[in-house]
Amino acid sequence: MSNDIQHKHFTRSEMVSELLRKKALTVIFTLILLSAILFIAGLSAGSTVLNPLDVVKHLTGAGSGEHNFVIHTLRLPRMLLAMLAGAALGVAGLIMQGVVRNPLGSPDIIGVTGGASFAAVFFLTRLAGSVSIKWLPIAAIVGAAAVSALIYALAWRKGVTPVRLVLVGIGLSACTGALTTMMIVLNDEYSTTRAYLWMTGSVYGAKWSDVYSLLPWVALLVPLSLLFAKSANVLETGDETAAGLGVRIQLHRIGMLTISVALAGAAVAFAGGIGFVGLIAPHIARKLVGRAFGYLVPVSALIGSMMVALADVVARTAFLPLDIPAGVFVSGIGAPFFIYLLYRSRHQ
Amino acid sequence: MFKSKKLMAVTAFVLMFALIISGCGASQPEEQSNQQQEQNSGGNESQAGSGNNAESQENQERVIEHAMGTTKITGTPQRVVTLYQGATDVAVALGVKPVGIVESWAELPVYEYLKADLDGVPLVGEETQPNLEEIAKLKPDLIIASKLRHEEVYEQLSQIAPTVTHETVFKFKDTVQLMGQALNKEAEATKLLAGWDTRVADFKQKIAAKLGDQWPIETSVLNFRADHARIYVTGYAGDILHELGFVQSEYQQEEAAKGTVVVKLTDKESIPSMNGDVFFVFLSDPSNEEAVQKTYEEWTNHPLWQSLDAVKANQVYQIDEVVWNLGGGYKSAHLMLDQLYEHFELEK
Repeated sequence: MSNDIQHKHFTRSEMVSELLRKKALTVIFTLILLSAILFIAGLSAGSTVLNPLDVVKHLTGAGSGEHNFVIHTLRLPRMLLAMLAGAALGVAGLIMQGVVRNPLGSPDIIGVTGGASFAAVFFLTRLAGSVSIKWLPIAAIVGAAAVSALIYALAWRKGVTPVRLVLVGIGLSACTGALTTMMIVLNDEYSTTRAYLWMTGSVYGAKWSDVYSLLPWVALLVPLSLLFAKSANVLETGDETAAGLGVRIQLHRIGMLTISVALAGAAVAFAGGIGFVGLIAPHIARKLVGRAFGYLVPVSALIGSMMVALADVVARTAFLPLDIPAGVFVSGIGAPFFIYLLYRSRHQ
Repeated sequence: MFKSKKLMAVTAFVLMFALIISGCGASQPEEQSNQQQEQNSGGNESQAGSGNNAESQENQERVIEHAMGTTKITGTPQRVVTLYQGATDVAVALGVKPVGIVESWAELPVYEYLKADLDGVPLVGEETQPNLEEIAKLKPDLIIASKLRHEEVYEQLSQIAPTVTHETVFKFKDTVQLMGQALNKEAEATKLLAGWDTRVADFKQKIAAKLGDQWPIETSVLNFRADHARIYVTGYAGDILHELGFVQSEYQQEEAAKGTVVVKLTDKESIPSMNGDVFFVFLSDPSNEEAVQKTYEEWTNHPLWQSLDAVKANQVYQIDEVVWNLGGGYKSAHLMLDQLYEHFELEK
């Protein structure tokens, strides 16, 4: 009898996880499909509207080469960079929210955007003109890494707790924000226009070299973050529980933070201050597939990439001939969708 | 324990790998695109060459050195796209109607003083983020850009058409010279500059005769915005005033020596730093006229304002922002000079 119950119980939990898995896979498959549609639609849209079939032909190498410049040199790298940056930010935000156990967590909290902005604005206002602009992403990523390391070090007291991390992070973010504003105020309007543009976030003028530079970060770190899936799920329950379950908290925490900072830093370096994605994409992902980290990683990446890509397509087509920074539209696209999800789950 | 150490090792390894790969990615494609660029400009040359065989002079290849390198241009370009306000102005001054221009900063979409000459010329977006697809669609044979604004997209622009760049956006004489070379109108450019020099000499002589001992007088170019006031120490109007023989207060000279273009004042206590014998004042931001007007009234009603030399001598002139600051071209320089003749009641 007791044997029977146990058996029954086992199959039930197995059934639940099987159901979850099916649901998650359906979501992931749907998102990939939507991404593909967005990808083709985005490559077709622009000041010259192309036939999607021609775009597909071009991508498969069967094109006439007529639109080579527009597709290959202008739209494709821009689209890919937007998607990569969005995916990186989505996953970075997801990891950060897990580490600090706070739904308002995002890479901003550990100074990525603040540090990168500071470095980028410093570069644009002080060094631009004498140093080639191609070093700007490097400057931004160094700024992000330096400020993040500083926050981590300052939050350290026999290990780092989420609360200290958040508090120190908010403090230092205010500092870098103040310094950035100061640099902008102290400079002439020509370089500050550029600084504002950078801080808004834009994938305008994306080149293949940018795509190749960002790709390895995303391609390596997103799968790597999956290795932390188990500990991420446990860490979310609290330090004591996690320690009780045998997770080496500090080691895992710094590992996850490093991945998050590296992903967000790389994305921000190439796309500027598109910060909102890291906050909102993981929430949308959770609404779609629940709390299992293993599913949340791909879903956050897909949602993030679609957000930035869609924002950029809208930004460069809605007000032709104007080409507007994508950052203007990211929150405009993410926020309503998120509110809709919240509304729907309340009324279920 | 062993497992998490291994995890850390993998993370560290992957991060390093990503750094290395992205480093390679950053350098490699650039070489490729440089090659592409050369090939591309080579292609243009041969096309232009075969098209213009009739006039042998037209086939002459000219190498132009500019802010971002050297560019080869063959013959006389017919389809020019200008990507900053000063270049658009100078094109008109040289008798060339561009095939594409960027949106103006005020009096959208084209400055009033250029409207008649630029009737029907399509816009290619904003000066800060011109739409590359629109530019490509116009099939230009020359693009005039600014390193300050377009450094990031110089590569793409060069793939569309030979592109020459000016270091900033406001040194109108450099723009005239650069465009004279690029457009194969060097004689016209020299004539324009000589015409300017003649007028400058005339102005200097007449104002010195009129003001006698008082000359040279100290001027300040002041600007009021919604939330602050500015002193234009150098920049477009500052450079022209300097050339005309006007001088500045010691404070402004110090700032100019430091390379400052604009001093931003947020506190009325710094009103004394505005001092000079004559003030040229313009109010910015037509979208927020009320707020700007309010700032202006607040600042000019302050007791410190009343203690300034120009105010005491009733030498405060409101001037046209487009001509004095936003135009940045050759024609606008003449218009500015016209206004100065009028202010000082000199015979033209």
